[in-house]
Amino acid sequence: MAHMLEERGLPTTVLALVQPHVETIRPPRAVMTPFMLGRPLGEPNDAAFQRRVLLQALRLLERSDGPVILEHFPDDNPSWFDRPGWTPSVALPPPGAYQGSAAWQKAFHTELEAVLPAWERFKARFGRTTVGLAGQPPQAWAAFATSFLDGALPSVPHLDTPALALRFLADDLKALYGEAVQADGGPPSARQIDGWFWRQTVAGQLLIALRALAMQSDNSALKTVGGRFFVPVPFVSG
Amino acid sequence: MARLDDIPEPTRTTVANLPCPTFETTPFVSGPKLSERRVAIVSSAALIRRGDAPFAVGSGEYRAVPASWNSADILMSHVSINFDRAGFQRDINVVLPVDRLRELVAEGRIGSVAATHFTVMGSTDPAAMAEAADGMAAAMRADNVNAVVLSPV
Repeated sequence: MAHMLEERGLPTTVLALVQPHVETIRPPRAVMTPFMLGRPLGEPNDAAFQRRVLLQALRLLERSDGPVILEHFPDDNPSWFDRPGWTPSVALPPPGAYQGSAAWQKAFHTELEAVLPAWERFKARFGRTTVGLAGQPPQAWAAFATSFLDGALPSVPHLDTPALALRFLADDLKALYGEAVQADGGPPSARQIDGWFWRQTVAGQLLIALRALAMQSDNSALKTVGGRFFVPVPFVSG
Repeated sequence: MARLDDIPEPTRTTVANLPCPTFETTPFVSGPKLSERRVAIVSSAALIRRGDAPFAVGSGEYRAVPASWNSADILMSHVSINFDRAGFQRDINVVLPVDRLRELVAEGRIGSVAATHFTVMGSTDPAAMAEAADGMAAAMRADNVNAVVLSPV
């Protein structure tokens, strides 16, 4: 995209997360950073760190030694590393083994009720939430999601298919839990959050079960969505 | 870099083997000093306003992200589940550094912030993005943008 925009007369500078791609594509200007995918500016709630990254990228625009200018940003962002002594902002009992949709619904609903206060603290602290794709309130999630376990294919008015409805409910579920678990204290690493969610919550286990079910479904959209967009591969087996 | 060794499989292999376009030309557009630049962001995070339809998988569209939007109204509808979202959850600036740009204007480091930033679905084949590039470029030129920060997830 940088190349295309530059060809169309716009000076560009890229915050580049994958060095091999930059070396192949050779955009006009790029700062190659060591941050994990999803974090182009590196560190959340660290204006000074983000500013360093952004200014380094912007300053490339003042150099005249193109047509390809590549620099490295030298520092890891602090929360790339696991936070010592981190504990989740919500204490949950370990998930059990559930048979049937009613058991899953009860367990997930109970857990979600326990998570919601931490989510409210997160929203008050950070002033926003990234939950909102599903178009359903959290109170509706347990019944909706677990109905798929019975073979139902419920939908919501604003999304075209049951597969999309479940995909975006999964996105919202992960976002809500991700926010709740970070409600207090400094930022944990992404690894710490993922490890907690996929291994220590009913919600994570439910998504793993829904993925397995979706991949056996005769509904091709559900099969595709479930196989690709519910559970990162490292956590598929729970 | 996002160290390839730190990216879990199969994403690591996918990322490493992702076909990347190469180009015969090497465009390089100069401009005024940074303190006179009008800066826009292009994010690959498929950002939407709360209530809007999410980006479709494989979509080659682009959408406007007006600088006037409240950050609390901006969601991420990117299809991939293989990148971190916890940073964005805490702070929109990790993906869309709108506050950082405003601060740089206040300090006189950059001239101004564009009226509109833009967003695309970053997982879409670049070959399908030419029309989006045309549209974004036209809009940014009309807004006198002369610096574009590309912020991919």
